[in-house]
Amino acid sequence: MSLFDKFQSTAVQYKALVEGVGRDPFAVSMDEMKGPTRAMVKGKEIVLAGTNNYLGLTFHDDAVAAARKALEQSGTGTTGSRFANGTYAAHRQLEIDLAKFLGYAYCVVFSTGYQANLGAISALVAPPHDVILIDADCHACIYDGCQLSGAETIRFRHNDPESLEKRLSRLSDDVNGKLVCIEGMYSMFGDTAPVKECIEVAHKHGAHVLLDEAHSFGVFGENGRGVCEADGVRDQVDFYTGTFSKSLASIGGFVASNHPELEYLRFSSRPYMFTASPSPANIAAASAALARISTDNTMRERLWENAKRVHAAFTQLGFEICAPAGPVIAVKLADRQAACKAWDFLMEKGVYVNLAIPPGTPNATSILRLSVSAAHTNDDLDAIIGAYTSLSEVLTKEAAQA
Amino acid sequence: MSGIQEDDDLVFHKICSLIEPLNEKSVKLSRETDLIADLEIDSVSVLDIVMDIEDNYDISIPVNTISEIKTIGELVDAIHAIKKEQS
Ligand SMILES: Cc1ncc(COP(=O)(O)O)c(C=O)c1O
Repeated sequence: MSLFDKFQSTAVQYKALVEGVGRDPFAVSMDEMKGPTRAMVKGKEIVLAGTNNYLGLTFHDDAVAAARKALEQSGTGTTGSRFANGTYAAHRQLEIDLAKFLGYAYCVVFSTGYQANLGAISALVAPPHDVILIDADCHACIYDGCQLSGAETIRFRHNDPESLEKRLSRLSDDVNGKLVCIEGMYSMFGDTAPVKECIEVAHKHGAHVLLDEAHSFGVFGENGRGVCEADGVRDQVDFYTGTFSKSLASIGGFVASNHPELEYLRFSSRPYMFTASPSPANIAAASAALARISTDNTMRERLWENAKRVHAAFTQLGFEICAPAGPVIAVKLADRQAACKAWDFLMEKGVYVNLAIPPGTPNATSILRLSVSAAHTNDDLDAIIGAYTSLSEVLTKEAAQA
Repeated sequence: MSGIQEDDDLVFHKICSLIEPLNEKSVKLSRETDLIADLEIDSVSVLDIVMDIEDNYDISIPVNTISEIKTIGELVDAIHAIKKEQS
């Protein structure tokens, strides 16, 4: 066995998948960005419908101006971690603003959302007496946080508070801390968690709850505070994690909480201490986006209008959709090859979506994952729906011939 | 091969019945069968099979334990050990 043998079977699978369609779905290069929803790819203008840019703020005037100003005043990078020389006044201010917006007392900013989850879980939970319970469909960074912690990790069935309760009940008496990890909206299918029920069960068994609202921040709830706000249990969440890389249109991540112990992360969380902090421009852009989200509900309204329109159109076309209307609209295809072919077909029609295949998806499903943006214009939506209409015609014809 | 032991072992049979739908190449299942190398079952599907086993036997099998398991025999042994510990 050599060092590289482990890649062989995946490499063969990957090659077969890509060669089947002649375009690599996992190596698309946006040659030139034309705005939040358009890019040039190999000389052709493409409508972007797989970006997580839910509120469409990546080109917003305020965010661009703030980032430019920060860049000029504070430089291109911080060249250090939060723990050392990488905390500027703007990093602290954004922590205060996020805590205030979400209604928590404390907030810690990390360099990405991935590292926020990694950093929170690995610092909060320690072997041998703490246990983590995670929803089976949790994001890779939650799994990786569990692994980094080294603590015993138990999966429960996706969105199933009863399954969680069974596993909590089975824990032996010598378990100390218990952390339950769930997400607000799950990124692949776009389905939302029964946050209220999960928290009830967790708290009944003396467990703390970490809720990742990466995809739902800015999108769900009356004020855009996430699914926990929509469920009326925002104040019961123990640790709220989020990212700047979606609705906040930048890059970075955070953990917010009412537990004063959150501050301990600053000297115990390795993903906080041993990586450089977000650049001044990233922080400024996220701050500007947050200010926008705090004062303007119209983006969220537009997002939901767009989402409902696309969802209704796809339903009518007969596609199998993985969740009710929402900002992520995932369409199920027969298998990897069929999904890859359909993905390529949409690219040919000028629409980019995400191809997602096992093991990166729940229940070994192959999907085309579309994310709707408030910045999608009616023309964008027409193009998207038009491309899917052609796709459904092709699929219907193929099914008839089979 | 430990054929007699397999026949006697209900846990082994239970696991085989859960794996069979994913056994696309119709590999003959034994204690030595490697879940990922021989059956090409991806790591997440292994976790999903284990979830069924957990509910079947009313035990919790930590992800940490599963990631160290390669063969069906190792999975069987882990379940026996946990059943003993949690009963
Ligand atoms: C649920 C979830 N959490 C966290 C992240 C990580 O966010 P970031 O891009 O900031 O690392 C993602 C995005 O990929 C995600 O889907």
